[in-house]
Amino acid sequence: MAYSEKVVDHFNNPRNMGSFKKEEDGVGTGIVGAPECGDVMKLQIKVQNDTIVDAKFKTFGCGSAIASSSLATEWLKGKTVEEAGKIKNTDIVQELNLPPVKIHCSVLAEDAIKAALADYKKKEDGKETVK
Amino acid sequence: MDHPPRAASSRTELQMARSMCWHCQSEVAGEYFCERCVKVQPLSKEQDYFTCLGLPRLLTIDATGLENKFYEMSRSFHPDFYQTKTDTERTISLGNSALLNAAYRTLKDPIQRAEYLVRLEAGSVKEIRNQPPADLFEEILSLQDDLEEFRAASGQPSADLTALQAKLQSDCETLEQRQRDMESRLFELFETWDRLQRQTEPTEPVRAKKESVLKEMRELLSNRTYVRNIVNDLVATVG
Repeated sequence: MAYSEKVVDHFNNPRNMGSFKKEEDGVGTGIVGAPECGDVMKLQIKVQNDTIVDAKFKTFGCGSAIASSSLATEWLKGKTVEEAGKIKNTDIVQELNLPPVKIHCSVLAEDAIKAALADYKKKEDGKETVK
Repeated sequence: MDHPPRAASSRTELQMARSMCWHCQSEVAGEYFCERCVKVQPLSKEQDYFTCLGLPRLLTIDATGLENKFYEMSRSFHPDFYQTKTDTERTISLGNSALLNAAYRTLKDPIQRAEYLVRLEAGSVKEIRNQPPADLFEEILSLQDDLEEFRAASGQPSADLTALQAKLQSDCETLEQRQRDMESRLFELFETWDRLQRQTEPTEPVRAKKESVLKEMRELLSNRTYVRNIVNDLVATVG
């Protein structure tokens, strides 16, 4: 099965590949995996004043998983934390034209976003209790 | 899973439809062919792979027995033998062969067999979703970083590069051993599962034990997949 043009583009020119320091202020980290295929995805957000100013990912898996996370980081930038929580895997499926067998890659990206947001919120809540 | 009662009733309907020959409408007593008109009968699509190959839902399988059964059934259904038959029979032969091939391919490999069984039994387990292995993920990501560093530097030989290569090779061996350990544990669980399946009266403790076996198998299977992937990457780069 051939990958869609958009998947190939993200695969060849991944956007925002890399990572932030986990401990850095305002950084939320989500690490998730797909037990069926063994793909591992790390997605990080950097938040300032409730807005995601930067996002990075590292994905070890198939082209669709890489493209899904690359696209996710593009979409995350500029969104508020609340808006980011509304990104659905189906949006990714639509944008990348993922075939049914690759839908789980988009689910993985959504899970990674959720995990990164949860991690960010946990860190923020922790700060407040310290104060 | 969503509507168990409905699923069960549609299955009964299918079995009822199946028990009648599509050609002569007599009750089909034979397994794959009508006893009266000798026409080939469709294998139900609802049938699981174990049932398809006439096997109980056990994890220890005699490979030779399975192969023989597969060849025997293949000969019965192979499309080549139906070229001169009616359209309906040709369609049944194709459908049966496809199902049979998928069943054999899945069950002959112990890992795929276990994955398939865990999926089949998933409906009967309350909370089968395991915690994601956070430590393993961290370990994999850190190894992938090392691999990246190694690939980037592999053009210019240096003492650091040699040291990194040695470290990665030793990591690779450790992980290969871990994969083998997971597989041995998995095969131990095969026997536990089979023993529990053979219990004629499934009491509550037996059910609970089965649930915990399925859960552990599922966890082992997914962790093994993560480990296998990183091992493959390591072997491809420094192996």
